Amino acid sequence: MSDAPLILSHATKRFGAFTAVSDLSFEVPAGQIVGFLGPNGAGKSTSLRMSLGVMAPDEGEVRLFGARPELKSLKRVGFLPEERGLYKKMNARDTIIYFGRLKGLSASDARARADELLEATGLGKFRTTRISKLSKGMAQKVQILSTLAHRPDFLILDEPFSGLDPVNQQTLEDLIKAEHARGATILFSTHVMEHAERLCDRIVMLARGRKVLDGTLEEAYATLGSGARITLEPGFDLAAALTPKGFGVHRAADKGPGEAWRVDLAPGQGPQDALRAVLEAGAPIIGFQPEEARLRDVFVSLVGEAEAAALDTPAVPTEGEVV
Amino acid sequence: MRNIYLVFRRDYLGYVKAWGFWLSLAAVPLFLIVGASFGYFAATASPVRYFAVVEPTRIYADAIEGEFQRRSSEAAAEARALAEQMNIPLAEAQDQVADAAGGRKFIEVPAPARTLEELRPWLTGERMIAGPAGERPLFAVFILSEDGSQLEYWSGDVNVDTLQRTAEIAMRDLSRRDALAASGLNPDFLKQADAAAIKVPAFRLNATQAGESGAEVTMADRAPAIVSAALAYFLWLMIFSIIQYLLMGTIEERSNKIFDTLLTSVQLPQLLAGKMLAVFAVTSTMMLSWSLFGIVGSAVSASQVPGMADMIQPFIAAVTDPKLILPALVSFVLGYILYGTLFMALGSLCDTIQEAQTLLSPMMILLMLPMFAIFVAFQDPGSPIVDVASWIPLFTPFLLILRMPHDPPMWEVLAQMGMMVVITALVVWGATKVYRAGAVHGAGIGELGGMIKRALGMKPKAG
Repeated sequence: MSDAPLILSHATKRFGAFTAVSDLSFEVPAGQIVGFLGPNGAGKSTSLRMSLGVMAPDEGEVRLFGARPELKSLKRVGFLPEERGLYKKMNARDTIIYFGRLKGLSASDARARADELLEATGLGKFRTTRISKLSKGMAQKVQILSTLAHRPDFLILDEPFSGLDPVNQQTLEDLIKAEHARGATILFSTHVMEHAERLCDRIVMLARGRKVLDGTLEEAYATLGSGARITLEPGFDLAAALTPKGFGVHRAADKGPGEAWRVDLAPGQGPQDALRAVLEAGAPIIGFQPEEARLRDVFVSLVGEAEAAALDTPAVPTEGEVV
Repeated sequence: MRNIYLVFRRDYLGYVKAWGFWLSLAAVPLFLIVGASFGYFAATASPVRYFAVVEPTRIYADAIEGEFQRRSSEAAAEARALAEQMNIPLAEAQDQVADAAGGRKFIEVPAPARTLEELRPWLTGERMIAGPAGERPLFAVFILSEDGSQLEYWSGDVNVDTLQRTAEIAMRDLSRRDALAASGLNPDFLKQADAAAIKVPAFRLNATQAGESGAEVTMADRAPAIVSAALAYFLWLMIFSIIQYLLMGTIEERSNKIFDTLLTSVQLPQLLAGKMLAVFAVTSTMMLSWSLFGIVGSAVSASQVPGMADMIQPFIAAVTDPKLILPALVSFVLGYILYGTLFMALGSLCDTIQEAQTLLSPMMILLMLPMFAIFVAFQDPGSPIVDVASWIPLFTPFLLILRMPHDPPMWEVLAQMGMMVVITALVVWGATKVYRAGAVHGAGIGELGGMIKRALGMKPKAG
């Protein structure tokens, strides 16, 4: 029997006629950091809410620490929801104490833990400040600390970096690493691929409610291999010109003027082979750059440019609209 | 239980720490103290006012003076009777009797002139007139018209009409006396006739806790009905007070997007129970504080006023009567849960205070219906309307409490309590579903119709 804290088996969730998550299966191995990636509306939050038992799947099964999600197993989980929310009239310290106690800490342990966390994150002098008086970033920090108060075995973080400035994003990255070093298993959703690349042991990619990838970062990169990024003047179909010559060619995300293409290299092919083929095809070349695969490219290759574009749009709630 | 306690504690402290709570807590005693003080000061601080009567004889002036003296005698007699009713020795009650009899605010003085124009300087305060309370202006003057048909009342202050009304009564009494004398009857003929009327005392038909059958009805007989009415009204008041708390408390959590965090730490029924208990405790704290204020006030008056303890005793006996208080407590708790969960579920469907305010009007109307039922039941607890209405679930908690002092059939009491349990369980079940839809899935008030139809197995209309 797997010791994975979380296993989803063929989980499906519908809201009326809309299928938010379809036949989703994956597991989060103990002690690993797993990134749950996908654009807004891909079904990430719905999947996480099913994982926590906040909503039940219409089909399939969720196993949290080997059983259906229930309060006993949830005591071992720290959850940071995508839509942040705290009691605005409570102060920072009382907030951490309250959520710590709800997760099973004694009153004295919760108080000590709140003080420890607030001091460690530089919020010590704001301990008695009401949440409504804190900056948005500070309030988010307090919510994250509330999630960590009871030293959970398993952390589920839904878009934890959303709304944080670069300094606080780095602080959070450090916190996640520290929790991982402590032995916690971590599952976090994000649509920012760079965070996943820096932190994750494994990734699960989701698009339109369906899983499109589940593996380690290396396995993800291997789906693309190495390649070359070629930027052309608009209007030239590089795929039509190079595919007959044995190259895998697809559109890449544009970064500046011109149209970007990625040429996948098969084993034995080098970037210069790709450049030669492009020149021979008479393509109006603007730029050429050999590159290793990035998660974003993996995602584009798996779900297409239109889906990938959604990675860059701000997060919006979806479930409430379709109930 | 621990989770319920933690939710309860947070919500309770959240409410209690708000300054609005302390304002509400202090408002009622403060209002009573200020109100009572205002009444007392209005009565005692009212100045002594002089008036004069311009007439050829003293017939009308004496009639007005006679009316003032009759009132003083009546007030003294009432004070004496009250002291007797409360077993206060007359010697101890002398001061109260004297207070009731004394304290004249209008004193007749000789008219300093005979016509209105001549009297005007005294009436406007330009000139003062000496009297028992020192030099003062004339407050009013009565002038008999030339044909003797009217006693004209002139005063610079038209709002204080006590003196005018007293004079009217005095003139009517004078006219009656004249008429009786003209008919050759004793002037006190009518008073004697009134005094000779036979009394209509009420007697206890059946033996009750208040005493044996055949004895005259006392406050002990009426106390249970008064106590049950107070309890029914207290329940109504408590439900009325919680609407705001339940609506706003849920809206805060919904707008703060806090439910997902909470629901990974507590079960939904635990969350609901904790919140309901907190609101119950907040309103109880308020009402108990007010009651404590009342008890302290009663204790103080009982220590100051001999006989007050005897007056309170029948009410204490009614409150401690298990036959009355047990069904009342069951009705009270179930009624609170029934209405509380209903309002909390509706609150969970609102995103904003404005949205909640649109719900307040229908809720108030819903709550006014039991209030009407309470009123009818208090007037006539045996009415068939009350019998029927007590089977309507929204009214049952209130009406069962009101019917208990009138010995309704035991099977009805048990059946109505059973019905309340079933209905409350159904409402809690439905409200939990609505709450989950609102809190977890973000459903709005517009979707309530669809939810009810689905619950009833009907297909909501498309679009």
